[in-house]
Amino acid sequence: MRGGRSIWSAGWSRFRRNRLAMAGAVTVLILYLAAVFAPMLTPYDPVSHGRLPEMRHQPPSREHLLGTDKFGRDVLTRIVYGARVSLTVSFLAVALSVVLGSVTGAVAGYSGGVVDAALMRIVDALMSIPRLFLMLTCIALFSRSMLLVIVLLGATGWMGTARLVRGQILSLRSREFVSAAEALGAGGGRIVLRHLIPNTITVIIVSATLKIGLIILVEASLGFLGLGVPPPTPSWGMMVYEGREVLLDAWWVSTFPGLAIIVTVVGYNLLGDGLRDSFDPIQFT
Amino acid sequence: MAEELLKVDSLKTVFRTEDGTARAVDGVSFTVGRGETVGLVGESGCGKSVTALSIMRLITDPPGRIESGSVIFEGRDLLSISEKEMRKVRGNDISIVFQEPLSSLNPVFTCGEQIREAIALHQKLGRGESKKKAIEMLRLVRIPDPEKRYGSYPHQMSGGMRQRVMIAMALSCQPKLLIADEPSTALDVSVQAQIIELLAELRDSMDMAILLITHDLAVVAQMADRVVVMYAGAVVEESPVRDLFASPAHPYTKGLIDSLPKLGQYLDRLPMIPGTVPDPIDLPPGCRFSDRCPRRFEKCAAEPPLFDLAGGRRARCWLREREGL
Repeated sequence: MRGGRSIWSAGWSRFRRNRLAMAGAVTVLILYLAAVFAPMLTPYDPVSHGRLPEMRHQPPSREHLLGTDKFGRDVLTRIVYGARVSLTVSFLAVALSVVLGSVTGAVAGYSGGVVDAALMRIVDALMSIPRLFLMLTCIALFSRSMLLVIVLLGATGWMGTARLVRGQILSLRSREFVSAAEALGAGGGRIVLRHLIPNTITVIIVSATLKIGLIILVEASLGFLGLGVPPPTPSWGMMVYEGREVLLDAWWVSTFPGLAIIVTVVGYNLLGDGLRDSFDPIQFT
Repeated sequence: MAEELLKVDSLKTVFRTEDGTARAVDGVSFTVGRGETVGLVGESGCGKSVTALSIMRLITDPPGRIESGSVIFEGRDLLSISEKEMRKVRGNDISIVFQEPLSSLNPVFTCGEQIREAIALHQKLGRGESKKKAIEMLRLVRIPDPEKRYGSYPHQMSGGMRQRVMIAMALSCQPKLLIADEPSTALDVSVQAQIIELLAELRDSMDMAILLITHDLAVVAQMADRVVVMYAGAVVEESPVRDLFASPAHPYTKGLIDSLPKLGQYLDRLPMIPGTVPDPIDLPPGCRFSDRCPRRFEKCAAEPPLFDLAGGRRARCWLREREGL
């Protein structure tokens, strides 16, 4: 293979040939576009209640493609605006957990010895705390807000990344290019940032993408329990919860937000699997 | 001999393993003069590479540890300066080229970037300037079309090219001493010769000293001024290169030279040294080479010192006490 083909361009050409991965990528892209351009996609307001009583629980129709809920709000509108919440919360929470996990894992893996042992025991301890229970407690203690949900999801989800990155760093640390960099006079921080983390970046991105799907599910569960982002901001989990009482009479209130969750999670998982198949660093060593 | 640049004195490096303590380098002493090329020769596992890594203080601790001795470089003991000071020495005053050129390069950066980083580590240059210097280094190590090659990734280059990149990185700050650890072993025979030739040329044009670590006596004959022969973690002979080949002072050196194929001489089998290198965890008492030595006698039960011989030579063999040289 000659010419300037980097890992990225080689991976991208593999990715493009993978139909399922492309389907996942397109799904995720559409969701983000819908979230960003929500006000242009739908004429209705996602939160205001001031509607006529007969507008409640309208079945899907030409005017309300996915029907209306118990306050007469358009379900499609709330799903599109709800995408903003789900996508923002999941993206930021995963970003936070990736940063925490990568730094912890890289420091543990490169330092070795006592530092490694101490950090990994902390990870073990944190992993043994039931996640949902911890989050419910914190939400009960502090006032509910989107920021709190993001921080909680991020702060409780980084341990897996830390272990993954540590393992990668351990196997990279003994590679000769690290000794070569040391022999050229590079210090520890530089070796971690310039030589070790860039070599694990594909693994980190893949695991983050796969993790977003999980975070969306956890966020939806919190919403369903009434502990997610506070109303009236629409969130998919809460919408499923709200439609639960009228499931037999107005099935569309719960079903469509539920479908939105499924489509998003499947989209992210397809994307993540595709990225893993295309950018697996094992193929380049 | 030229002015002394590096003086390794009674260096001892050990590795603690579950089976016991391996004395990989056990009291090694030698010197390298300014601009001089010293070959460090021996079989695999004799402690050559560990010596090199100890000079650079790159022994992973644990399990390794430099137990005692000194490494005097330009009058300063490298074993007693701080890690921060040592980082300034590495790559700047002393550089090392490793054996395996593919794994010594970071797969996610272009070769040019990696040379540029090596320059940026020790010199305060702008991005553009250091890039220009990196391209210059690529040209210096005879990489064709260096501007274009700057952007190539390691996996897009041949083994010989990669080793040239490694040499460019190592030499980018004009070190006074280059440690070349089996620089040509992993390469094709034809490429080996080119790399050795390149190193010799660069040595002369940049006026640097080379500590050439190899098990290949042909390379030593071609490049080195002086040779240090190691066996089982200790120096067994030290001689100017001509004398070494003309009249080896230690039976081990003689064995090594005899096992080389010679032009115009047909043999069914090449002579070889019987047996294997002793286990560094469990070194034999007395002379370490005695159980493989064809000229063993009673005295070999005691460990011989390094005898000073005529012509600045040294050898660790009781025969030299008895017969002189």
